[in-house]
Amino acid sequence: MKANILNRIPKILVFAFLFFSCSSDLDFDQTKDLRLEPVFVANLAYFNVAATQLINDGSPQVVSDVQSFDAFKDEFFRDNLVKAEFDFEVENTIVRAFRIEMLLLDANDQTLEANSYSVPAYSAGSNVIKFPTEVYENQRLDLLKQTVKLKFIVAMESGPPLDEHSKGNLKFRSSANVYMVIE
Amino acid sequence: MRKAYLILMLSLQFVCFSQNRQLLYNFTSIPQSSLVNPGADVSYKYYFGIPVLSGISANVGSSSFSAYDLFANNGVDFNDKVRNIVNNSSNKDKAQVNEQLELFSGGFRVGGEDSQSYVSFGVYQEFDFLMYVPKDPAIFALYGNKDYVGKSFNLADINVRAEVLSVLHVGFHKKLSEKFVLGGRAKLYSSGANATSTRNSGFIYTTQIPGTPNLYTQIISSNLELRTSGLAKFTKDEYEGNVAEDIAHNTFFNGSLGLGLDAGFTYYFRDNLQFTASIIDLGFVNQSKDIETITYKGNYRYEGANPIFEFTNDPEDVFDDFEKAIPRDTLYNKYTTWRPTKLYSSVQYSFGESRSDEECNCKASAKKRYLNAIGGQMFAMTMPNEPFIAFTAFYRRSIFEKLDFKATYTLDSYSSKNIGLGLSGTIGKVNIYALVDNVLEYRDVSKANSLAFQFGINFIVPESED
Repeated sequence: MKANILNRIPKILVFAFLFFSCSSDLDFDQTKDLRLEPVFVANLAYFNVAATQLINDGSPQVVSDVQSFDAFKDEFFRDNLVKAEFDFEVENTIVRAFRIEMLLLDANDQTLEANSYSVPAYSAGSNVIKFPTEVYENQRLDLLKQTVKLKFIVAMESGPPLDEHSKGNLKFRSSANVYMVIE
Repeated sequence: MRKAYLILMLSLQFVCFSQNRQLLYNFTSIPQSSLVNPGADVSYKYYFGIPVLSGISANVGSSSFSAYDLFANNGVDFNDKVRNIVNNSSNKDKAQVNEQLELFSGGFRVGGEDSQSYVSFGVYQEFDFLMYVPKDPAIFALYGNKDYVGKSFNLADINVRAEVLSVLHVGFHKKLSEKFVLGGRAKLYSSGANATSTRNSGFIYTTQIPGTPNLYTQIISSNLELRTSGLAKFTKDEYEGNVAEDIAHNTFFNGSLGLGLDAGFTYYFRDNLQFTASIIDLGFVNQSKDIETITYKGNYRYEGANPIFEFTNDPEDVFDDFEKAIPRDTLYNKYTTWRPTKLYSSVQYSFGESRSDEECNCKASAKKRYLNAIGGQMFAMTMPNEPFIAFTAFYRRSIFEKLDFKATYTLDSYSSKNIGLGLSGTIGKVNIYALVDNVLEYRDVSKANSLAFQFGINFIVPESED
């Protein structure tokens, strides 16, 4: 008997909801069309190297560092990312010219992509350079999604020697615009 | 993710009843009116509700949008509709559903023929759902943060609770004098399923601060908590069964138990001037069966990759850091939920004395019968944020000796043009009632912000038939 009552509850509820039947045409299948298209901004990478960290007799010098970058380990993020844009900004107040490289490395440390940015030596005034936006779509985006590490190379070109009293910094800042489509 | 949003949207859809029962309140020819005021001036020799059909009620309400706004088959892109609704809602807008089904009920007079003490009892099943529009998280999901640099997305906007429970109740009311009726009701709750996430806080914040080394300052501060009872086993992979059946079984036979109290009174200043008040569901449920609490608590500041060009340098994992900073924790602590407590009050003025067709009403205690009554009612209900409040004006008329009509006009946060109509008639010993809220909206229910209806059938043996 109890089971009977329980079975009747849904039927009665359905019956009750039939009361609501004079209604505009509604289409609940529309929920299948739900499509979220958020755009996020996020920091990508930054560093700040002081001239005193680059003490040097005037000859070329290269420093590098590898950072692991596990954003694409997240399947949801990887699957729904449709476009990415990277913006880079460098401010150099050191009297030497630089070449900054950012390499995308895959799980086997193979280089997927290398981008190089030239920075002139500081003389006077402002020395902030905004580089053109790197746009990742289609095949370039597929390569980006395999990235597990970022390698940064700072190559200092020849010029005046640097000692512990040298002034200035090389500041690197970058951000990403992340376009997602979630269906 | 997509599923989650679908469930969210669909549940919003069904959530729009306020629990105000302005039509039933003080409609004393219906025995169920003692469920909204145990001190209602209801009298009978005995009555019982036709099982499952004695009291069926459902309420749906949504303060900022209707089913039509979201699901109209009008060629407008669904995503535009969702965006419009989110843009036009605030985090104070809410969607509510309440459904009640009486499985059985009954009542009888206790004491001798002249006694005016009554006992009533019954079991009903109830479903409650309340959700506030999660405005900030919805904007974050729909648009991202790119156009909202400098805005702090408030995670406290996530505020939802849902419960399925059965209620066993026993009530008693007594006419202490011609002027005063006092009543109370004890309730035993058995909650089959509960989900509560009402005490969230935190934010997602992206901004640009000059002089900081990075382009953006990005902080997530999260204090999110979802407490569930009776639901954990359904989320397990090895679960094989029928969720609805299992919840129904737990609701009646294996629920988390709680206790509650209703109280109320009716007072006559004069024969035709009446004041009533009641408090309903002052109680709690001790959530103890199959409990699982999920939390995301912590703070995280996102800097991106930061090479420092030194040899002794451990690579950092950004996402691992995030998971360490704001871990997902699962706890198994019992918790207590308070039932949404309701307060009702009314003032009623009656006029137009009835000329009874009956030859003579020889009982000394016979009271004057009035054909018309007008008055006002107030309703308040506890909610996680601000209480819900509604005001009602009503007119009640006896059309025939055994056919009563009540019309209400109600003002609340869902609607300012809510007109309700109710009829209660008795044929022989069978009492049938139907109460319909928001009748103007029935021209097109899909555009209604709130709807409510109740109906039921009882078998009543009135007091006069001794």
